Amino acid sequence: MNPSQMNEGAQGKNIYLPHRMEIIKVIPETEDTKTFHIQFLDATLQENFSFLSGQFAEYSVFGEGEATFCISSSPTRRDHLEVSVKRVGRVTYALHQLNQGDIIGFRGPYGNHFPLDRLKGKNLLFIGGGIGLAPLRSLIQNVLDNRSDYRDITVLYGARSPQDLCFQYDLATWSRNPLVKMITTVDVGDNDWKGKVGLVPVVLEEMAPSPEGAVAITCGPPIMIRYTLRCLEKLGFTPSQIWTTLEMKMKCGLGKCGRCNIGPLYVCKDGPVFSFEEIRNFFSDEF
Amino acid sequence: MYLKITREKLSHWLAGLKAQAEVLAPVKVKGLWTFQKFDSQEIPRKFQNSLLPPKGLFLESLRALFEWKSPGGSPQVNPLPPLDGQRVIFGLKPCDARALRIIEPVFTGEYRDVFYLRNLSRTLLLGLACRAQCEGSFCGEMGIDSQDSADFDIFFREVPEGYVARVITSQGKGLAGGRDFFEEASEKEWNLAQAEKRGRREPSLFDLERVKAGVAEFFPDENFWKRISAKCINCGICTYLCPTCHCFDLCDLQLPRQGARFRCGDSCAFPDFTKMAVHNPREEKWRRYRQRVSHKFNFFYQNFQRIACVGCGRCVTHCPVNLDLREVLLEVAR
Repeated sequence: MNPSQMNEGAQGKNIYLPHRMEIIKVIPETEDTKTFHIQFLDATLQENFSFLSGQFAEYSVFGEGEATFCISSSPTRRDHLEVSVKRVGRVTYALHQLNQGDIIGFRGPYGNHFPLDRLKGKNLLFIGGGIGLAPLRSLIQNVLDNRSDYRDITVLYGARSPQDLCFQYDLATWSRNPLVKMITTVDVGDNDWKGKVGLVPVVLEEMAPSPEGAVAITCGPPIMIRYTLRCLEKLGFTPSQIWTTLEMKMKCGLGKCGRCNIGPLYVCKDGPVFSFEEIRNFFSDEF
Repeated sequence: MYLKITREKLSHWLAGLKAQAEVLAPVKVKGLWTFQKFDSQEIPRKFQNSLLPPKGLFLESLRALFEWKSPGGSPQVNPLPPLDGQRVIFGLKPCDARALRIIEPVFTGEYRDVFYLRNLSRTLLLGLACRAQCEGSFCGEMGIDSQDSADFDIFFREVPEGYVARVITSQGKGLAGGRDFFEEASEKEWNLAQAEKRGRREPSLFDLERVKAGVAEFFPDENFWKRISAKCINCGICTYLCPTCHCFDLCDLQLPRQGARFRCGDSCAFPDFTKMAVHNPREEKWRRYRQRVSHKFNFFYQNFQRIACVGCGRCVTHCPVNLDLREVLLEVAR
């Protein structure tokens, strides 16, 4: 079901009403990050729900409030949805207290998505930092499930330390996949660390991927994105070859509550996925 | 179609409407004008406007959206319906009625906010022409005609004996009913009922086209916004009193084993409005003030082809530090 179908007969529909979802599994990723596997209680909805990589949703802990996260699993894997949450505030703290079997609220999917059509037949370069791998992971799983549509796939992922790496089970799977070039780096290693040590943009510069027929998709902390962008431009990537997802404070997710705007654009409905071509032409620098 | 009615009959007419609808009219409570249930009180002469805009009757500052009950820890979620029942409001002003229409497209589109839209559709609006320019207002500059408006079902002009009215919609016509209260009036009577002092100031304070262009041109001028907003104390009264400010928050109320989510009024003037875990894109005051002005005169216009300001002047009159929006607009339009 796409969003418009979900709002069929929208005359009387309550757009703020969440669907109930059950937590079927909780995976601790790092000290402050957990991934929740969730399923709709409504079997028909669970069967028919669909979304696209890059879209987000509003998640409720009833009594604590609602918060915005991307869907970190791929639409090609339909058994359940996954959402990865870093504990930073009231709702995320409450989410982290929940266990398998607990019920949360879900509204979505909202927003635009990664331009799969424009990625087909290209060399894909994924550059992620910290929890910023979550939206990329949805897309990476998505393209791996349709592997023949794409050419070389490279994943560069970094975190502060080996303990801060999210989705270690995925990193291991991708490392073993002969059709994926996987590079992991940390700012500070330890005795057991076998990967690279160094900031993501620095490692990227060493790797020096060719911009020829390539698209780079990046997400991470703002400072990483800034230096990654600089590095990609130095390597010859044009702004239209680089994509990212932006984060802004949201409440409604529907373009009404008035806080996620960057100039006249609303990240919730005009984004969250933007090319650097678009970002470069933003009217405002407030993001 | 033009009608006329005496003051006495107007009261009887409104009282009679209570059989079929909730009727609201201006009332002075503790010295402040507001719209409340009509209880056969005297309709004030030369009513200017309410302190709070009537937007709160449509976009409530607290609106319960759904509730949950948690028997055995598993919450059952029940949607709450929008308010229903016919409503009639007498005495609304052209600026405030325009504001209700200006923000309407925010709540329509792919995701329809039935709470706002139902409040609009269930309410018949009876407008009242202004007798004087409100303090601090610049409605004329914003294209509001204080003597006529198509945003109502019936629009009234006050005359010494009562009112001359223009019936605008078929619902308005139905409401005016047979000839028990109203008499037919001529176009001449309607024209003569126009207030002596029209709302429009001559010459205009500023040219609206230049304001629109100016707000966009000044956007990157950090020093301009810093200077303009220096005395702002982030109190949010301008957004609270603004008939078009509509930004909201979603908040939970949890009681033992049950709770509800509310849509609540919020303000872009508050420092935590856009605060996220690690950063806040509008942490500095000048950015927030720039956002408010730019949203109204630039972004909203780009998205909905209308300016989100009607020049009612409430923000000008009630700002505790005299931050006068008119001065800001004058400066960008210079």
